[in-house]
Amino acid sequence: MESFTSLLPNLALGFQTAVSLQNLTYCFIGVFVGTLVGVLPGIGPLAAIAMLLPATFNLPPVGALIMLAGIYYGTQYGGSTTSILVNLPGESASVVTCIDGYQMAKNGRAGPALAIAAIGSFFAGTVGTILIALFGPPLAEIALKFGAPEYFSLMSMGLIASAVLASGSMMKAIAMIFLGLLFGIVGTDVNSGMSRFTFGMSGLADGLSFVVVAMGLFGFGEILSNLEKGQEVSSRELLTKKIDHLYPTWQDLKLSIGPILRGTSIGAFFGTLPGAGPTISAFSSYALEKKMAKHPEEFGKGAIQGVAGPEAANNAAAQCAFIPTLTLGIPGSGTMALILGALTIQGIAPGPQVMTQRPELFWGLIASMWIGNAMLVILNLPLIGLWVKLLSVPYRILFPSIMVFMAIGVYSVNNLDLDIYMTVFFGLMGYVFVKLKCEPAPLILAFVLGPLMEENLRRALLISRGDPTVFFTRPISAVFLGLTILLLVVMILPNIRKKRDVAFREPDAA
Amino acid sequence: MVMQNKVAGAVMGALLAAAGLMPASAGAQAAGAQAYPTKPIRLIVAFPAGGSTDIIARLVGQRLGEKLGQQVIVDNRGGAGGTIGTEIAAQATPDGHTLTMGTTSTHVIAPAAYAKVNYDPVKDFEPITLVASTPYLLVLNPGVKANNLKEFVALAKSQPGKLNFASAGTGSTTQLAMEMLNRAAGMDIVHIPYNGNGPAGAAVLGGQVQALFGSMPAVLPHAQAGRLRAIAVGTSKRSPALPNVPTVAESGYPGFEVSLWLGFFAPKGTPKPVLAKLQTELTAIANSPDMKAQFEKNGASAVTNTPAEMGQLMKSELDKYGKVIKAAGIVLK
Repeated sequence: MESFTSLLPNLALGFQTAVSLQNLTYCFIGVFVGTLVGVLPGIGPLAAIAMLLPATFNLPPVGALIMLAGIYYGTQYGGSTTSILVNLPGESASVVTCIDGYQMAKNGRAGPALAIAAIGSFFAGTVGTILIALFGPPLAEIALKFGAPEYFSLMSMGLIASAVLASGSMMKAIAMIFLGLLFGIVGTDVNSGMSRFTFGMSGLADGLSFVVVAMGLFGFGEILSNLEKGQEVSSRELLTKKIDHLYPTWQDLKLSIGPILRGTSIGAFFGTLPGAGPTISAFSSYALEKKMAKHPEEFGKGAIQGVAGPEAANNAAAQCAFIPTLTLGIPGSGTMALILGALTIQGIAPGPQVMTQRPELFWGLIASMWIGNAMLVILNLPLIGLWVKLLSVPYRILFPSIMVFMAIGVYSVNNLDLDIYMTVFFGLMGYVFVKLKCEPAPLILAFVLGPLMEENLRRALLISRGDPTVFFTRPISAVFLGLTILLLVVMILPNIRKKRDVAFREPDAA
Repeated sequence: MVMQNKVAGAVMGALLAAAGLMPASAGAQAAGAQAYPTKPIRLIVAFPAGGSTDIIARLVGQRLGEKLGQQVIVDNRGGAGGTIGTEIAAQATPDGHTLTMGTTSTHVIAPAAYAKVNYDPVKDFEPITLVASTPYLLVLNPGVKANNLKEFVALAKSQPGKLNFASAGTGSTTQLAMEMLNRAAGMDIVHIPYNGNGPAGAAVLGGQVQALFGSMPAVLPHAQAGRLRAIAVGTSKRSPALPNVPTVAESGYPGFEVSLWLGFFAPKGTPKPVLAKLQTELTAIANSPDMKAQFEKNGASAVTNTPAEMGQLMKSELDKYGKVIKAAGIVLK
C-alpha cells in the first residue's frame, strides 16, 4: 500500500515541522488558551475559534493552523471539565459527558472522572492522528458516499438510540425527544426559505442556538433546583466531603479500557462524516456501553464507563473531522469552516491539493495534533486538583459567577440580547423538568439531530422525486434503517421487557 | 451542526472592538475632509468570519485603516441571509464611522426575495464603490456525460426534470445563477438546496447531484484537481485562473452574466466629503497591484466604480434578479 511506504518520510517531515521551537510554542499557546477559554461556561470551540481567529492572521500559515488546532482541542478538553464539574456542556457532544460525569462529581469522584476523560481523549486523539496519517484520503472518499438518504437513516438510528440516554421512565424520555424535535423546527426551513415559529424575530431566523438551550436546561436549571435544597442538604456537601482519591483506581482503569477502545472506533467512524460526527459518536458510545455493561443500572448514577466511552468517541470524532476538511476542503462543522477560512486568509486555497502542494503544512498539522493532545494531558492532569478545589467554593459565590459567565458566553455567540432572555426561558423550563424528573439529554439530542434529519429526509425525497424506497435500496442507508428497526424491536418486544426495564428504567433514579 | 453554521463571528467583533481602543497610529490628518475619521471605523460584515465576504472585507479594511490613520474594525453580524447585519448598518449613525460591505446577496437578492426586509437597499444607503467581484463557475460531477455547456444543455433537454443541481440554500446566489441558466437555455434541472457552499460542493463531489453553479473560491480547487469538471464561467470575460474554460455567453447565451460583487456602503445621510474621501481611498486600495494579487488568490478580481455607476448597477441587478426570483417562485418569509 502506497500510504504505508510514504508514511514514514511524511511523518518525519511533519514532526520536523511541528517540533520547531516556534511551532511548539504556537501549539502550546493554542492548547493553553483553548483550555482556559473552554472552561468558561457557554464558550465552546466554535465561539473560541471565532474569537481568536484574528489573532492568527499575522502568523505564518503553519503556525496559525497549528495554533487554531490547539485551541480546538483545548476548548474541547475544557468543555469536558465544565460538563463534569458543574453540569455545563460547552457543545452538543459534551451533553453525554454531563450525564454520568456530573453524577460522579456529585459522588465525590470528580477527580477520576476528569482524569479518565483526559486519558480517554488522549488515547482517542492518538488513534485519530494515526488514522488521518494512514487513511485520510480514502476515508474522505467514504464520507462522500454519504448522501441525503444515508444521513437520514443514520440520524433516525441516533434518535431512537437517544432514548437510551434516559435513566428514568421511557415515556418521559420519548416526550422529551418530541419536545426537542419541536424546538429544532424553529428557524428558516432550508427547502422553502420560510420561517417557522420565529414570531417575527429576526434573531430566531437561524433557529435556537444550541448554547442557549443547553445552558438553560443544564446550567440554569441545575442551579435553580439546587438553590431550593438549601445549603445543608445540598449535594455540595457530598462533593467536598467524600473525595477519597483524585486519580482513578486500578478498578476504574480496568472498567474504562473497553469503553475507550470501543468509543475510539465509533468516533473514528462517525467523525469523518461531515455533520453531527462528535455528537452522534458520543451518545452512540454511551448507548453501546450501557447495553454492554454488567450493571447497566449504574448508568446515570456515575458510571465511569459512561464518561470514558463518550469522551474517547467525541475526541476521536473531533480529530477525524479534520479528514474531510484537510483532504477535500469540505468543512464538517462550523468550527472546521472557520479553520478553512483561516487557511484562505493565509492565501492557501483549501482543497485536495493542499496535501501535495504544501506537504509541510499538512503533515506538520498532523504531527502537531498528536503533540497538542499530549500537551493537553500533561497540562490537565496536574490541574485536576485545582478544578476539584473549585468545587469547594461556596454556593453563594460559585452560582452567581457561573450565571454571569454563562450570560457572557451566551451573548458572545451572536451579540443578541434575545439569546440571554431565551436562556432564562430554558432555565425555567429546566427547573420544571428537574421537578418532573424529566431528563434533558434526550431533548437536547433530538434538538440537534431533528433539523439534520428533516433536512436530509426532504432532500432525499427531492432527489428521488418523492420515491421513499431510496432509503431501502441504497445499501448504506438500508443497513442503518435495519439497525434502527432492530433497536426499536429490542425496546418494544415484551419478552425482553425485563432486560429493557433494567436498561432504561430505574424508578426514582434522579 | 446546522445552527452552528451561522457561526459565532460576532464574538470577534467584541474582541476587535477592545483592540480598537488601543491607540491607533494617529496619522496626520489633512484639513480636507474635516479630520474624518476621528475614531475607529466599524465595518459591518453581514456574514460569519472566515467566509469569502469577510476575507475581502478584512483585506481591504486593514489597508483602509492604515491609509486613514484609524483602525477599521470588522464586526461580523451574520444571520438570516445577511439581512441582520445589513439592517444594523442601515440604522447606524451616518457619520462615516460605520460602513458595511454590501454584496449581491445583501443589497439585491435579499430585498427582492424576502417578503419583509427592514431596510431598503437604495433609500437607506449611500453607495461608495465596488471593490471586487467573484465569478460563478458551472461545475459538473465528472461522471456526468457532458464536456461543455452545449453537451450539458443537450443532456438536460433529453431527460427533462431528471438532473439535479445543488445550491448553498434557497434564495442564494448559487440557486439564482442556475435558475437563470435554466431559463436562458430552456432546461429543467431541479434545485436541491443545501446548507452552505461546503455541503453543496460535497454533494457534487460525491455525485449526489450532478451540477453546481458555485462561487469561484469554493469550487476552483476541486476543478483544478480534476475532481469536478468546470464547463463555464458566468462572467462576461474568461477567468485568468481558468483560461481554457469558456464563458456562458460565448457558449451560446450572449448577454448572460452572473457574478457576486462586493462593495462599500455607508448609511444614508453620510456627509458628501466623507464619501468622496472613502471613494478615493478605496478605489486606490482595490486597484493597487498587491491587493489585486490578494484578490486573485481568493478567486476574486478587483472592480471599482463611482457612486453613480453603483446606483445604476443596483437598479439593473434588482431588475434582473427580481425577474428570476419571481419566475422561480421564491419568497422568503
